[in-house]
Amino acid sequence: MKSKFVFFSIIILLLFSNKILADDKALAGADFEYGQHLSGECVTCHNSTGLGQGIPKITGMKTAVFIKKILAYKTKEKDNAVMQMVADRLGEVEINSLALYLSKTK
Amino acid sequence: MAKITRRTFVGVMAASTTALSMPSIAFGALPRVVVIGGGAGGATAAKYIAKDSKGAVDVTLVEASKRYYTCFFSNLYLGDFRNYGSIGHNYYGLAVNHGVNMVHEWASSVNSAEKKVYLGSGATVSYDKLVISPGIDLKFNSVNGYSPEAQSIMPHAWKSGTQVQLLKNQVKGMKKGGTFVMVPPPNPYRCPPGPYERISMIAHQFKKTNPTAKIVVLDPKNKFSKQGLFMEGWQKHYPGMIEWISADTHGGIKKINTSTMEFETDLDTFKADAASVIPAQQAGRIAMNAGVNKGDWCPIVPASMQSQADENIYVLGDASIAKSMPKSGFSANSQAKVAANHIRGSLTGSKVFAPRFANTCWSLVATNDGIKVGANYDAKPDKINKTSGFISKTGEDSNLRKATYEESIGWYSGITSDMFS
Ligand SMILES: Cc1cc2nc3c(=O)[nH]c(=O)nc-3n(C[C@H](O)[C@H](O)[C@H](O)COP(=O)(O)OP(=O)(O)OC[C@H]3O[C@@H](n4cnc5c(N)ncnc54)[C@H](O)[C@@H]3O)c2cc1C
Repeated sequence: MKSKFVFFSIIILLLFSNKILADDKALAGADFEYGQHLSGECVTCHNSTGLGQGIPKITGMKTAVFIKKILAYKTKEKDNAVMQMVADRLGEVEINSLALYLSKTK
Repeated sequence: MAKITRRTFVGVMAASTTALSMPSIAFGALPRVVVIGGGAGGATAAKYIAKDSKGAVDVTLVEASKRYYTCFFSNLYLGDFRNYGSIGHNYYGLAVNHGVNMVHEWASSVNSAEKKVYLGSGATVSYDKLVISPGIDLKFNSVNGYSPEAQSIMPHAWKSGTQVQLLKNQVKGMKKGGTFVMVPPPNPYRCPPGPYERISMIAHQFKKTNPTAKIVVLDPKNKFSKQGLFMEGWQKHYPGMIEWISADTHGGIKKINTSTMEFETDLDTFKADAASVIPAQQAGRIAMNAGVNKGDWCPIVPASMQSQADENIYVLGDASIAKSMPKSGFSANSQAKVAANHIRGSLTGSKVFAPRFANTCWSLVATNDGIKVGANYDAKPDKINKTSGFISKTGEDSNLRKATYEESIGWYSGITSDMFS
């Protein structure tokens, strides 16, 4: 019983620390305040109350999900003229800052 | 050594307190921002300054109306894609969620030397920084025969509200097989694709209820925004209904007569059963009163949206000369965020980030046939500079056009929530 508990704890810790490491690496240069400022550009279209139709909600999005999507627009792998243009001028620091900020909003 | 007069003494005092802290704070009060105009530019600016300063700046929004009817999507109301109620918004959210002081009055003048705004009631509001986003005023006499009285016969509907309702009634009530004449404005004007989206939505309305009706467009220009896309859509959805006549072809509108409903041009005299005339435009009057205009519009400093004439006044939206950005709600919203960040920085010392501007304008041509044009901009010393852009293509797949329309619905919900909640 006890060994089982320890085993699970270790697994959970490993998963957790992996995630932290992954996030830390991905979020190089991230600045919450900058992310908040930049998000002003997003909420002209992405309803900040999350009730939008025709345009998905981005608040509360996990950092990895956000980064993956933005990069897909940046490389034009994902189609949408507006989003490709938005992604085009976001550098790594901007993307990471936005990811950080959006992940912390509801 | 210069003689120290009382005046220079006060000046020196003010300068030294600024170095230590902010002037208003030195006198025990919060720094004050007054915003004139609660539209796309002004509502956004008031909200962002109040929200991001978290109570460190006192924000007062002076807006004449208690309800703001958006011009954007007013064309969709003409085409029955929206109801009138859905394009009206109130200011409770700004007051309740962000602590913006709402003053529903007309700002009648600005004394920039004393940093005061005079209201219609005779009251005054003082400011440290003033934001002016009054939208447009119409130059009625730019079309010979048009006037403020004529707007109830041939509505411009270029300011939203009752004008748009009047236009819709006239479109719906026009006699069967009649002719609707439309006069778009000359450049520069608010919403470059707007008149052509309006033509599309009127055609859509006629197709349903008055299919033999005709629309004649007497344009003072020889080309217009998204022309290829609109022309393609008109041919596809409303074949034979719309006749667009360029300035070079009709040779100019010499005179319009609101009692006979005639439009005199070099080419011909056109008789209308119903009409919409959109005259030339200029910055809202209060901008002229504040002395921040140069001719019809207001020059700004691209990096901050400050007036070139007065560093304590910011001019946003349609009233500003923000070239290369078009005059649109999206542009005004984007400019407001740049100004809000700069104002907060100068009043509270918060971080000022590099300005970034963007715009996208969606238009609806017919059911599920949306098109769009957009661009990114940065600030150069002499202008807001376009860095990249896109436009829908002719012959696009109908699924993409439908998705573009749905995206515009999302944008409307996004921007109005960004402005008002
Ligand atoms: C038919 C049509 C369709 C459009 N479609 C789109 C679109 O799809 N997308 C888009 O982005 N843009 C669109 N626009 C353009 C958009 O509406 C304007 O560009 C935008 O509203 C400009 O914002 P603003 O803050 O400059 O002015 P406004 O939004 O007009 O706000 C000005 C406000 O100031 C108030 N005001 C003025 N003077 C005073 C005073 N002295 N005292 C107190 N209050 C005052 C007015 O009551 C008003 O509420 C469209 C316009 C039209 C006409």
